[in-house]
Amino acid sequence: MEAATMAWTAAVVGVGLVYWFVWVMGAAEVKGKRAVDLKMGSITNDKVQDKYTQYWSFFRRPKETATTAASAEKVPAFVDTFYNLVTDIYEWGWGQSFHFSPSLPGHSHRDATRVHEERVADLLGAKPGHRLLDVGCGVGGPMRAIAAHSGSDVVGITINEYQVNRARAHNRKAGLDARCEVVCGNFLSMPFPDASFDGAYSIEATCHAPRLQDVYGEVFRVLKPGGLYVSYEWVTTSLYRGEDSEHVECIHGIERGDALPGLRRQDEIASIAKEVGFEVVKEQDLALPPALPWWTRLKMGRIAYWRNSLVVRVLTLLRIAPKGVAEVHEMLYETAQHLTKGGETGIFTPMHMVLLRKPASAAEEAK
Amino acid sequence: MRLLTHNMLASNVRGVTSGYPLKLEATNWCTKEVDLNADFIRGLLPKIDWRALVAATRALNLPELLPEEQPSEEEIFAEGAANVEGSAIRRIHHALLEIHVQQGALICPESGRSFPIEKGIPNMMLHEDEV
Repeated sequence: MEAATMAWTAAVVGVGLVYWFVWVMGAAEVKGKRAVDLKMGSITNDKVQDKYTQYWSFFRRPKETATTAASAEKVPAFVDTFYNLVTDIYEWGWGQSFHFSPSLPGHSHRDATRVHEERVADLLGAKPGHRLLDVGCGVGGPMRAIAAHSGSDVVGITINEYQVNRARAHNRKAGLDARCEVVCGNFLSMPFPDASFDGAYSIEATCHAPRLQDVYGEVFRVLKPGGLYVSYEWVTTSLYRGEDSEHVECIHGIERGDALPGLRRQDEIASIAKEVGFEVVKEQDLALPPALPWWTRLKMGRIAYWRNSLVVRVLTLLRIAPKGVAEVHEMLYETAQHLTKGGETGIFTPMHMVLLRKPASAAEEAK
Repeated sequence: MRLLTHNMLASNVRGVTSGYPLKLEATNWCTKEVDLNADFIRGLLPKIDWRALVAATRALNLPELLPEEQPSEEEIFAEGAANVEGSAIRRIHHALLEIHVQQGALICPESGRSFPIEKGIPNMMLHEDEV
């Protein structure tokens, strides 16, 4: 072959590879976010680096942020910052459901995710005509699955305005925007009247509350008497040892990289729920056998992480992605390692399920 | 923000006991047509606070859209009503689902606190010192 032809062939193949790498491989799902579209929520490009640095120093010592009142008040703002930084990366690299699921043999991650979400609807006995509250709804992956599966209406609340926009866009595309609504607010102080929901659920979201009692108390308030609430909680298990420095490092890593002011213990959840007035109907760690590991998806994602990391760095060099994205991506990769370790050692579970009921006899309290 | 959403929101300002309904102020709103689903309206109606819905339409300068008193179920879900221009069900459908407030505010009736509506999203976040 002539040198010129070889050069042209190489160039075409090279361009084709770059295109494939960035545009085709760069999306989590066929119609998902693309690497070239990565935004940092509502943070402008020049502020990304700063916001990331502020975030990282605030969550350096998570348990302390929960215990001092002054710090606890700042948590919502930092959770908001966290989700500005990671929402697009999550959509790009993971999907529209920002949570884990037990893996299902022979089924895709999307299917496993959907089954885990539909379980919530089944536990709630959700039906058409019911109005459910999604506490910490992200970009609405679970909301859409639950609305589609049960026929109920779902109202989601999230602290992050960017997520509200993304969720609404997805709801419209899915044709569910009549039955799915999203509100921007703080689940520690929800903008709904007492007893306005037939049911409620939160999927891996209450871990952002400095005190679990505060979010549980709000859910209790807005639920109708007799209404059910399902929560998938992020907790340390009975295998966790505070004296084991490796355990501590693993849990701290999870807390720092996920905007958590301090993980609760598995054995505390029921008593906290009862403290605010709930009856505990059912409690189960959905990660335990016979369920298959939820962390294999993180491990399998390693190759994707390397590729994505490379893509992000190239895009930053090309000035398409704002400065700071690469660091956020690195942080998420490190956090994924901690989460995997938490799963493998069994000291952590992201799916301790509690099914709670507001007593039918609960009197309406004046605010 | 649709009026369906407005109907479910309340003021969460600390100490407020009657924060519902929020007063609506709209500087920019539009309508987008959506298919009428009678079953959906039927399921929704028990959850709607009629006076809050009417107040919201008045705030948008649509005093003729809805009557002060909620029409009877027989009238709303009468056979073929969905096809009649100006029928109760069509007005209710229009009010709840087809009006979109893009810019404006929701005002707490007790404290006067104003929650902004920007690009169609009501921001119900309180400041650190209000919680």
